Amino acid sequence: MSSDPFERPRAADGRAPDVFKMGGWIPMRQNRDGDEVDFAIVGTGAGGGTLAARLAEKGFSVVAFDAGPYFRPLEDFASDETAQEKLYWNDPRVVEGADPIVMGGKNSGKTVGGSMVHFAMVSLRFRPEWFKSRSTLGYGADWPIGWEEMWRYYDQVEKDLSISGPINYPWGPPRPRYPYRPHPLNAAAEVLARGCEAMGMKWTPTPLATVSAPRGEAHPCVYRGFCRFGCSTNAKQSTLNTYIPRAIRAGAEIRDLAMVGRIETDARDRATGVHYHRDGRWRFQKARNVIVAGYAVESPRLLLNSATDRHRHGLANGSGLVGKYLMTQPNQAVYGKSKDEIRWNKGPPSLAITEHWNYDDRKDFDGGYCWMGQGPLPIEWAKTVTASRGIWGDELRLAMQDYNYQVGVKMVGECMPSEANTVTLADQKDRYGLPVAKVTFGWSDNDKALIRHALDQMEMSLEAAGVTDLFRQEEDANHLGGTVRMGDDRRTSVVDADCRSWDVPNLFVCDGSVFPTVGGVNPSLTIQAIALRTADRIEQLAARGDI
Amino acid sequence: MRSMVEKRLGATHPRMTIMSGPTREADFADLVDDPAPAHVAREPRPGAPLRGYSHSVEIGQVRMVHGAAAMLAMSVLADSGIEHSRGQYHNPAMFTPLVSSTLSILASLDGAARSETSAHPLRLASYGIAMVVGLVGTAFHVHNITKKPGGFSWENLFYQAPIGAPAALSLSGLLGLAAEGIRDEKPGESPKLLGLPAAPALAGLTALGLLGTTAEVSLLHFRGNFQNPLMYLPVALPPIAAALTAEAALRPHKRPRPQAKLWLGITAALGVAGVAAHAYGTHRYSGGWKNWRQNLVDGPPIPAPPAFSGLALAGFAALALLERHGDD
Repeated sequence: MSSDPFERPRAADGRAPDVFKMGGWIPMRQNRDGDEVDFAIVGTGAGGGTLAARLAEKGFSVVAFDAGPYFRPLEDFASDETAQEKLYWNDPRVVEGADPIVMGGKNSGKTVGGSMVHFAMVSLRFRPEWFKSRSTLGYGADWPIGWEEMWRYYDQVEKDLSISGPINYPWGPPRPRYPYRPHPLNAAAEVLARGCEAMGMKWTPTPLATVSAPRGEAHPCVYRGFCRFGCSTNAKQSTLNTYIPRAIRAGAEIRDLAMVGRIETDARDRATGVHYHRDGRWRFQKARNVIVAGYAVESPRLLLNSATDRHRHGLANGSGLVGKYLMTQPNQAVYGKSKDEIRWNKGPPSLAITEHWNYDDRKDFDGGYCWMGQGPLPIEWAKTVTASRGIWGDELRLAMQDYNYQVGVKMVGECMPSEANTVTLADQKDRYGLPVAKVTFGWSDNDKALIRHALDQMEMSLEAAGVTDLFRQEEDANHLGGTVRMGDDRRTSVVDADCRSWDVPNLFVCDGSVFPTVGGVNPSLTIQAIALRTADRIEQLAARGDI
Repeated sequence: MRSMVEKRLGATHPRMTIMSGPTREADFADLVDDPAPAHVAREPRPGAPLRGYSHSVEIGQVRMVHGAAAMLAMSVLADSGIEHSRGQYHNPAMFTPLVSSTLSILASLDGAARSETSAHPLRLASYGIAMVVGLVGTAFHVHNITKKPGGFSWENLFYQAPIGAPAALSLSGLLGLAAEGIRDEKPGESPKLLGLPAAPALAGLTALGLLGTTAEVSLLHFRGNFQNPLMYLPVALPPIAAALTAEAALRPHKRPRPQAKLWLGITAALGVAGVAAHAYGTHRYSGGWKNWRQNLVDGPPIPAPPAFSGLALAGFAALALLERHGDD
């Protein structure tokens, strides 16, 4: 058994954990703090981990920091819902607003690999129109990137993660065949499919980032069902077992248990490196460029915490928009009881999906949503039943006995960007002495209309599939977006299409916070596609001396 | 081998090459002292005295075809045993292929051990049952696929009851019936299989069986994404053997077919190598062979590839018969 991953950094002494072997190590190049590396990357998730690999493969020197530990999937990911909460960003945050966001497992990660270590593996492309939703659909904001270009990077990330998906995807423009075949449906997915067929909607096996056949050192999925936690068999293709090992092989250094607290800038408004806390003390890593990839709460927090006299309102905040336009995706659900045994904890939770309402615009609100099969494990299920049905005690105990017969579907919806939804700094400080983030959020009327529509549709589909004793989970939200939005006008965005700050030319932000709109699908694939694009753009900019 | 055969045929029967060969009796009489038989399996096996052996019955080929039937049945027994226990025999009919394949194996062992020149009703019954159970099984599997959401979709073809698998049992039954047909000598008549001349029919059956098996392998290896390049071999190679065997069925001249034999040999070897490849594949599943109880079920089916070897054996027998008889 390896040492406690929280106790001291594992990526040290010229080596990093080999995630594929118990107690194994891989050699890792290390840099001294005084070495001016090409890129200091803050965060190792979908944005930072992907960039670390691609930039290192392009020959840049890279140090990537993560505040969380470096887990060994084969040893550290117990089949225990409570133990797995160690994967989340559980540091204090202040949440407020009309609909305060519950921070934790559904919208954060604090580990090398980021929240991809516990993401549900749902790997969807944006609807093409969403990249220009203001111009084509009349809401939100246009992205500074076109869908055709993004389509190419989606191809690349799907290959890199060996996404297992259907032979033909029923919506959107043609896409290449998914690298791996789809997974078998579990009973929960079949209920979704029957409901969709009864309503005349298309459905499909969900493209998932867990392999359906062996891939290198990764075993095929064993359908263990602990999919929204760490995958203990490495079937899940998270950053931790894909891009991170690639990054290290290509010469990047990963620093675990390394909390970056501040980006240093000089009098010429250039970033010079990052202050980070590791091994019990604050240190400074010199860097020619800094990339922030801490997701929609920690990225703006770091920029705001890096304020100087020259950047009084936070770094890269000339537009005043750092921390604004926070979005979270509606994640409401409808549940019920099947007369047949379902055992929805078997296999990945979201094996089937319908994107019908992402592509059908005949509705009286903006934005779209999809819904997917569900498989909450017992503790989460007990919480859901308690919160949604208000039952306790013996009644709850009896309700839990129906666990193997419960079935349901859950939406991932599009939230409208609103300047009033923000991440700012609170007065409270965390254990590093840094002001914590204050997250203010409330649903817009459009969001509420979208949620009502989705709940009605999901309920109808379950009824049509013969599910009884239906109830709604009306309070839930998941993935975040916004707060460091990209655009092609420095007055209305924080970064440009290359994720580069308008104000600090050697500072980049590359994660879900750059999304001008969040779409009605899970964001990880889009974050990674943007990271791949950013790596290519950085290479081009560097080649012409622009970095 | 080829030159010897040609020399022999050419010397004794100059018109052989235009398919108007000698009577069977003459042919067989000619071969009694042949030091280089058309196929080694034609020789009596030591320890199996051929009481009542008649030169007009190709007991060696009969044994080969029984062996082919047995190999297919064993493949079915092991494969359906694993797959149906995985399905927890939720429908009692799922026991049927186990029983039927066992009967087919017993009938084949019995048939291979005996050298009598007449079919046996119990063996015929076992093989007939296998043929029918395979057909009914196919219907069941089709039903299983179509009742699922999506119907005949890739998803269901990948993961519901394997549509091609029960056909292997029918094939075993048919091969067994072929063996009985060849064995069951009727004076003055050439052996028949379901009313057709036995040798070309057996060759045709082999070709169809190889193609069907290849189709099933293609589907399942596509499901496995051909993640190991070796997975292309059983998709690419058996159709060559199938084509050459089909050619023999359609143009059953009495002549040696070294190319067909070569490719059937490769196909037979593929069936054996496939077991090793699937054993290796099993090791790549989570926990590897230490976790054999799970991975024998979830990993690549170890008993499946020898179906190719069984079919190749039937093909060899068909070629040997054709080499003797042509389509007479």
